[in-house]
Amino acid sequence: MIYSKHEVLVDVSGVNLTYDKPVLRDINFRIQNIVRPDISQGQVISLIGRSGVGKTQLFRILAGLNTPDSGTVKVGVEQQPVEPGKVGVVAQNYILFNHRTIEDNLRLAMQHTDEPLTRKAKDELVAEYAERFDLVDHLKCYPMQLSGGQRQRVSIIQQVVTGNRFILLDEPFSGLDALMVDRVLDLLTKISTLHEWNTLFIVSHDVENALAISDTAFILAREKDKEGATITETLDLIEMGLAWNPGIREDTRFQHLVSQIRHKI
Amino acid sequence: MDIIKLLIRPLASLRGRAAVLLISAEAAAALVLWEVFGENGLIPGPVRIMKAVLRIITSAEFVDNFFSSLGLMLSGVGLSIAMALLVSYLSLVPVFTPLARFVMKCRYLTLTGLVFLFTLLTHDGHQLKLTLLVFGIVPFFVTSLLSMIAAIPDQEYDLCKTLRMGSWQTLFEVVIRGRLDQVLDVIRQNFAIAWMMITMVEGISMSEGGLGTLLIKSNKYIDLSTVFAILVIIFGIGVLFDLLLKHLRHWLFPYTTLTIRK
Repeated sequence: MIYSKHEVLVDVSGVNLTYDKPVLRDINFRIQNIVRPDISQGQVISLIGRSGVGKTQLFRILAGLNTPDSGTVKVGVEQQPVEPGKVGVVAQNYILFNHRTIEDNLRLAMQHTDEPLTRKAKDELVAEYAERFDLVDHLKCYPMQLSGGQRQRVSIIQQVVTGNRFILLDEPFSGLDALMVDRVLDLLTKISTLHEWNTLFIVSHDVENALAISDTAFILAREKDKEGATITETLDLIEMGLAWNPGIREDTRFQHLVSQIRHKI
Repeated sequence: MDIIKLLIRPLASLRGRAAVLLISAEAAAALVLWEVFGENGLIPGPVRIMKAVLRIITSAEFVDNFFSSLGLMLSGVGLSIAMALLVSYLSLVPVFTPLARFVMKCRYLTLTGLVFLFTLLTHDGHQLKLTLLVFGIVPFFVTSLLSMIAAIPDQEYDLCKTLRMGSWQTLFEVVIRGRLDQVLDVIRQNFAIAWMMITMVEGISMSEGGLGTLLIKSNKYIDLSTVFAILVIIFGIGVLFDLLLKHLRHWLFPYTTLTIRK
């Protein structure tokens, strides 16, 4: 598999967070732009950890919604410190503006793009994404009229049209049946390959599905006799030959890895 | 047999025709019992009250009194909701938060002690009634509106931040525009308080008449048929407005009738 790693897109360095006791301890990782010939290969990273380990806290720090006690999070090619609005966030329950139609929800997300868009450009962008992600018939609907899967799709696209390249997804496979999970995996693959710098960061406790789509996975866990969760292991799934393969879940090596990780967390 | 089991089973739900039948049957039974056993009591029976209702609503003075109360109530509610909305929205700006909290606590103040002050501050009976009405209902509106604002999930504010909205736009999108339907619901819930207070303030200043004035006069002469007839009219108008506001909410904000699909 031909690929190379280039500029740093996300740099998390020395992040610590304590409330009444340490929650996160010395979190460090980097995400680099992966370049493959003949494809706009984005990055898909998973942060895997059991419930209550501190995933949501790290998620909010990466989104710029919470500030760590120490450490930095830098995003983008320019490596600017993270702040709200620089990172796309897709919450677990797919929050949308229920008083606006799907079209209006998407338009609202385009109000503050890096480069102001004309009305025509916004129309074209909405039409393009609606066509590509099978939402044409739902543009005039309200979020409440959509199924959970459709709302999730809108929620992700809403963050994409802001122009953010780094998008965080909180438990995107939660509560979905097997068929829906496959559709979400397809959707995320599509989103990640829309642009070279698109970087999806999936926070999940669903080991199998998170690994199935990722090129890199970080395991967030507590080390023995130490308080606060940290990255205990980094899996380079490309090097392992387990990335970018839609049928990977059938692979026995992949199944073995999933089983190993489940035991570790 | 099944229907009887359903009627007495906890958490069972009746819908459509069955529900209408149940309500009609219970109402009819209550009226019959009231008529039969209340004949010689203090409270006049339903037939006498309904005759009095017909007499009142066909009398010339009813229309004047009804529109006097309605006008006062609509202007009072309109003014109150405008003031309450302003105070509630501004409560999210820290400098105004104490003011909103104070207005909310004012619902524990009694109007009776303030009548003299408001009489001095206003120019005529209408102004006095309007001021008392507004002072009486604004704290209840503010309490409901602040509770509505407090129930907004933080995730909605987070969504605005991730969409790069400023704090004023967030306030507009989430709290003002996003909750307009609930404001109408708050109006509907508190309308009952406003309608109830109408009769009280009309009793304080009788110069313009109104249903409250009619009620107090009839009470004075212990004309209980008329008193109960006016109460029935007040009750009926209140229920009618409640229905109107409910349908207005669904008409103005169609998404409120939608339920989440799984």
